[in-house]
Amino acid sequence: MAELVLRDQEGVGAVGGSERGVLQRLRDTRELGIAVVAIAMFVFLAIVRTDTFLTTNNLIGVAQRISLLTIIAVGMTFVMISGEIDLSVGSMYGLLAIGLSEMLVTWGWNPILAMPVIILAGVALGFINGFITTTFGIPSFIVTLGMLALLRGVTLTWIRTPPFGRVGGWFDRIFGGYVWEIPAQVFWMVGVVIIAAWVLSQTRFGYHVYATGGNPQAAANAGIDIRRVKIACFMILGGLTALASCILIGWLHGVSRNHGTGYELDVIAAVVIGGTFLFGGAGSVVGTFLGATITGLLTNGLILLGFEQDTEQIAKGAVIILAVSLDTWIRRRQRIA
Amino acid sequence: MAEQVRSSIAADGADRRDTPLLEARGICKSFLHVQALQDVNFRVYPGEIVALVGDNGAGKSTLMKVLCGAHHADRGEIFIEGRPVTIRNPHDAQALGIAVVYQDLALVNQRDVASNVFLGREPKRGFGVVDKPRMVRESRQVLQRLKINIPSVYAQVGLLSGGQRQAVAIARAIHQGGRLIFMDEPTAALGVQEQAKVLKLIEDLKAEGTAVVVVSHNLQHVFDVADRIVVMRGGRNAGERIKSETTPEEIVRLIVGADRIRAAEVA
Repeated sequence: MAELVLRDQEGVGAVGGSERGVLQRLRDTRELGIAVVAIAMFVFLAIVRTDTFLTTNNLIGVAQRISLLTIIAVGMTFVMISGEIDLSVGSMYGLLAIGLSEMLVTWGWNPILAMPVIILAGVALGFINGFITTTFGIPSFIVTLGMLALLRGVTLTWIRTPPFGRVGGWFDRIFGGYVWEIPAQVFWMVGVVIIAAWVLSQTRFGYHVYATGGNPQAAANAGIDIRRVKIACFMILGGLTALASCILIGWLHGVSRNHGTGYELDVIAAVVIGGTFLFGGAGSVVGTFLGATITGLLTNGLILLGFEQDTEQIAKGAVIILAVSLDTWIRRRQRIA
Repeated sequence: MAEQVRSSIAADGADRRDTPLLEARGICKSFLHVQALQDVNFRVYPGEIVALVGDNGAGKSTLMKVLCGAHHADRGEIFIEGRPVTIRNPHDAQALGIAVVYQDLALVNQRDVASNVFLGREPKRGFGVVDKPRMVRESRQVLQRLKINIPSVYAQVGLLSGGQRQAVAIARAIHQGGRLIFMDEPTAALGVQEQAKVLKLIEDLKAEGTAVVVVSHNLQHVFDVADRIVVMRGGRNAGERIKSETTPEEIVRLIVGADRIRAAEVA
């Protein structure tokens, strides 16, 4: 939100010629455009499937799924703006969720102990991804592809029978409860979005994240420690994935061994639909939230419209390609002139 | 006329009167088995424009990087206003008033002008919050001072012309408090009109009392702006001329080595 306000103070459209002005404005109102798409999808489903879409249960379910996706996708936004990517996020989500479940149910740990441990574990996994990527100069694409397999393997080797059990008490309430009709997940998401949007658009660290992804060489020449910035972004993603795991366990009380498989696709889809540039340097948290909303409505809509579940993959894949193509086209046009 | 007066003043100053703003003595630097710099001496006087020229691999970029902290010299001494200093990294150089405008590696295209002017040195208001109003205000000031015409400090740098981008990079160097600015091929990637603007900007900097070292291949531009021309060849000093007392032909001879020219002429 803040990003929009800042830009509008002195119309960047003033830069010049007509076409440039239009394209610049198109990009600047990017969040607005995505919001329009999200609202259009909502209205369409509300009209076409009023009886199934506009029920309290369905809307709560959609909101819960969008919330968890947004929380993780916000972390991915940091990583992608810094010019990296994390494909291991789905496997990490599965490992952290089932690990927390194991601690709480099988080992009988108090959540007050298990929660910080799982958050630290997430941050540490992010650190490992960032450390290997930046220290050995390997593309994060490869490092995290390895981690995708490795972490899933750890989960499957470690956990034979997934634990399931209600912890109860405050743990269930803060992660799975409701205030009026609004599920707890939504509050967590709103908090994460507000804080992350503030960090990214207003703080020095946020400025350095953009600079690192936009032109690493220039950032380094200007004295920014781009290694530290990138590692920090991976750690933020790890921490937020751990937070999502806590919310998930407090809500569902257990997950399967395959939880999170393929989830990296949803997360990356949300981020790129939300306007974050695939090669770093541009993007926003609010955009990611809107991207997650579109992804969530797409999934829900396809089911309600009677498509088979498997078609969801086709739609999601197509939307990712479409979003990135459009984005690349706009950006390329901007460079010319 | 004006050109001559200015260069003779610089020539006087350069030779005897002032303490050099920056002086490097006996700089040596090697990478593995390659001796990139051998016993190189270099001086810049306050308010002077020095051109550092030489063929590819002559060591001019390496020398620049040593003096701005990107490389560390194996041997040699550096003095700022007569005081010996140690430059270990770009921060040290910055603190001493040495700034660099890298060729095409200086800016983040996706960010606006103000963010680029303050890249890596964003002012804070507390809680790590960047003081954007101050960035905007000071960016406008420095752009105005340098008579740089840019539509808006909110403009994305990627949308500016090559000359405007170079100007933003120079504005950043000035805003860092640079008293001595190294420019790596400042006109290389620009159109003719834009080149003229950048050269004018370099002269304006000099008029403000800033010393500028231009590392360039373009002898035409070197002769347009420089007061003094320092030539390097094979990692050593190959000669040094006051502009008004030399010709492009002589500089070329120094760059390629006089013997080879003579050999070529005989052949």
